[in-house]
Amino acid sequence: MSGDLVFGLRGVRYRYHGRRPALDGIDLDVRRGERVALLGANGSGKSTLLKLLDGILAPAEGTMTVLGEPVRAVPSGEAAHRFHRTVGLVFQDPDVQLFSATVLDDVAFGPLQLGLPDAEVRERCDEALGRMGIARLADRAPFELSLGEKKRAAIASVLSLRPDVLLLDEPTASLDPRTRWVLVDLLRELGAGGRTVVTATHELDVVPAIAGRAVVIGEQRRVVADGPPADVLRDRELLLSANLVHERDQPL
Amino acid sequence: MSDWPERTAAAIAGSIQRAVFTEEHARAPGWLQGLDPRAKLVACLTMVLAAGFLRSLTALLALYAAVLAAAVASRTPLDLLVRRVWTGVPLFAGIVMVPSLFLGRPPYLAAHLSVPALWSAVVFVARVGTGVSAAVLLVLTTPWADLLRALHALRVPPVLVLVLSMTYRYVFLLLHALTGRLEARRSRVVGATRGAEQRAWLAGSAGALLDRSFQLGADVYAAMLARGFTGEVRTLRRFRLRGADAWAVAGAALLAAAALAAGTALP
Amino acid sequence: MGGAWRPPVVGDGCSGEVSRQLHIPDGYLSPFFSVGSGVVTVPAWSVAAARLRRSLRGRSVPMLALLSAFSFALMLVSFPVPGGTTAHAVGGTLIAIVVGPWAAVAGVSVALVIQALFFGDGGILAIPLNCLNLAVVLPLTGWAVYRLLGGARPAGRRRLWAAGVGAYAGLTVAALAVGVELGLQPALFQVAGQPVYAPYTIAQAVPAMLVAHGLGASFVEAAVTVLGLAYVERLGARSAARS
Repeated sequence: MSGDLVFGLRGVRYRYHGRRPALDGIDLDVRRGERVALLGANGSGKSTLLKLLDGILAPAEGTMTVLGEPVRAVPSGEAAHRFHRTVGLVFQDPDVQLFSATVLDDVAFGPLQLGLPDAEVRERCDEALGRMGIARLADRAPFELSLGEKKRAAIASVLSLRPDVLLLDEPTASLDPRTRWVLVDLLRELGAGGRTVVTATHELDVVPAIAGRAVVIGEQRRVVADGPPADVLRDRELLLSANLVHERDQPL
Repeated sequence: MSDWPERTAAAIAGSIQRAVFTEEHARAPGWLQGLDPRAKLVACLTMVLAAGFLRSLTALLALYAAVLAAAVASRTPLDLLVRRVWTGVPLFAGIVMVPSLFLGRPPYLAAHLSVPALWSAVVFVARVGTGVSAAVLLVLTTPWADLLRALHALRVPPVLVLVLSMTYRYVFLLLHALTGRLEARRSRVVGATRGAEQRAWLAGSAGALLDRSFQLGADVYAAMLARGFTGEVRTLRRFRLRGADAWAVAGAALLAAAALAAGTALP
Repeated sequence: MGGAWRPPVVGDGCSGEVSRQLHIPDGYLSPFFSVGSGVVTVPAWSVAAARLRRSLRGRSVPMLALLSAFSFALMLVSFPVPGGTTAHAVGGTLIAIVVGPWAAVAGVSVALVIQALFFGDGGILAIPLNCLNLAVVLPLTGWAVYRLLGGARPAGRRRLWAAGVGAYAGLTVAALAVGVELGLQPALFQVAGQPVYAPYTIAQAVPAMLVAHGLGASFVEAAVTVLGLAYVERLGARSAARS
C-alpha cells in the first residue's frame, strides 16, 4: 500500500453559528508520511480544517475518516484519548496552548493526561524540550518568554505526546526573520522520519522547505489546487484568486 | 482631578516587573530557595501566626530580625525587602493609626498625644510589618509554580491548584490587554479629563476584559482537550522532604514558641 | 527593576483613611478572628466547587481561571472616592450575573488568594475573612438583589437596572461587613485599655467604610457591572458562536 490513508475528507462543510460557512465542501486525502502545506488567506478556514482534523470539531456535512475510522462527532472519553495520542495540533496562538505555570508543566500536561508514570513523563519532557532546543527554559513562566520561545514551547507541549500526525497552525507567523528560519529548520526535522505533518500557513516562502505537497483553499472555502509546491507556487493566477498574493506583491 | 487610569498603568507595569524579578530571584542559589516549598509555607505561616498573637515589641523585633537573617542567607537584597514591605501595608497601617493616637489614655505628650496609644500603635505596625515581611520573603524565594504545588500539601484539592496556576498565568495576558486600552485612551485624551470620562473608560474596559476572558477561556479549554484533558487533574510529584527542610520548620516553630513565651514577660 | 510597587495612597489623614481598600491585611485582626471566619468561608468554597463541577464539568477549569484573572485585573484599578481615599471595583456581581453566583464565589476567591500571596497585600491569615467579605458576601448579596429586582427572567433595561442596583448593594454590604469586623476588634481584644489590633470602634469604622463605598466605590462597581453586562449582551451572539 502506498502509504495508509491518514485523513480522508469528502464534501466536508462546517459553519459557525449564524455565519457563512467556514468550510464549504472540502475533499482532501492525506497519506502517512506526507508533509502537506495547507495554504490559504487569513480567514480562509485553515484553522477550522485543522481543528476538524484534530477531532475538536466535527463536520456539519460530508464524511471524514481518520486512520480508517469514520468520524461523525467529536470523540470523547477513551476514544478521545486514543485520538489525541496519535494526532497533535499546535494552535496558532501559543498563549492558548501554554496554560500552565511553567514550560515544563505544559510539556508534561499531555503525557500526564495519558496516565503515564512520572518517570516516563519526565523522559518525554526531556526529549521534547531537547528537540525544540529549549531545555534551559523548562522552569520559566510563559510570560517570561519571547514569541519565538513560546512557539517552540507550544510545539514541545504537543511533541511530548509523541503523535504520529502533527498539525501546525501558522507556526511561523509574526516571527522575526532569524527566529522564523530557525523554526523552519526545526519543522523540517520534525517532518523527517515518517511522521505525517500538515502545516497551515499563508507564508509562501517557507512552503518549499517544510512541505512536499501544497493544498490551496480558495475564497470559496474549497480546495482549488493540490500538488508539488513548486508547481502550485508558480501559478500566479491561482495565488491571486486565492488571495495569497496581490498584484502589487513582488513575485517570489 | 488626577488621572487615576494613568496610575493604573504604573501599577500594572510595576506588577509585571515584580513578577519577572520574583521569578528570577526565586531561582538564585540562596538558603531559602533550596528548601522544600511546603516546609517554607509551613514555616512562614508559623511566623505570621506568632506575629499575629504577639503584643511584645521586643519579641516582634526578634522575629523580624530572624526574617531578615533568613533573607540575607537567601541572597535577598535587604534594601529591596525593606522597601517593598514597608512602603506598602505597614506604612498605611501607620497612617491608619494616626487619629487613634489622640483618642487614647494618659499620660499625654504635646497636643493630647497619648503615650499608651503611641506604644500600641508602634506594636501594631511592627506586627503588620513582621507578618508581611515573612510572607514577602516566602514569595520572593519560591517560584510561583512551586508555591501553588505546596498548597496541595495543605490539602488544597488539585483542581484548585490547577485553577490558581492558570489564573496567575492569564492575569498577565489580561493586564496586557488592559495596558493596550490604557494606551489607546492616552492617544485620545488631550488635557485634563472629567471623572465621568474616567469612569466610563473603566466600565468599557471591564466589558472588554470580560469578553476577552470568555474568549480565552473557551480557546484554552479546546487546547486542553486537544492534549487529552478529561476533567481529572494530574500533576508531576516533584518534592521530597529532606533533613534541611525538617530543621527549617522545627527552627521556625521553636522561634515562634520562644517569641510567644518571652512575649508574655517582655514589653 | 524599577521601584517597589506601592499601592496608591491618596488623602491627608483623618477618619477617611480607615477605609482605603476592602482587603484587610494581617495584623489588623486577631488571628482567631481572621482564621476563624473560615468556619463560614470554607463551606462556601465547598458548595461553590460542587456546583461548578456539576454545571461546567471540565470546562469550568479554564473558564474559572479566566474569570479570576478578570477580577484580579479589575481590583488592580484604584480610583479616588469621597473621604479622600481610593477604592477599586471587584466585578463579583458581574460574574455572578453572567456566569452564576457560585462561579463568582470561586472566581473572586482565587483572585484574592493570588493577590494575598503575590502582593503580600491582603494578608495570608486574613484570606478566609477577605474571601468572606468580597467573594461570598459581595457576589451573593449582589446576585440576590439582582434577582429580587429583576425577577425570574430578567431582560432588557430592567435587567441592567437590577444589575446596577445589585452591584451597588453587594459592594456596600461587603464594606459594611468590613467596617463591623474592624470595629469589633477594640471591643474584643484589649490590653490595659488599649486596643491590640485595629483601633477604631464600630461607631468610627462603619461610617467611614460606608461613606467611601456607599457614596463612592459602590457607584463605580454598579457602573462597571451595568456597562460590562451591556457589552457582554451585545456580543452575546458572537460568544455563543465561539464556544
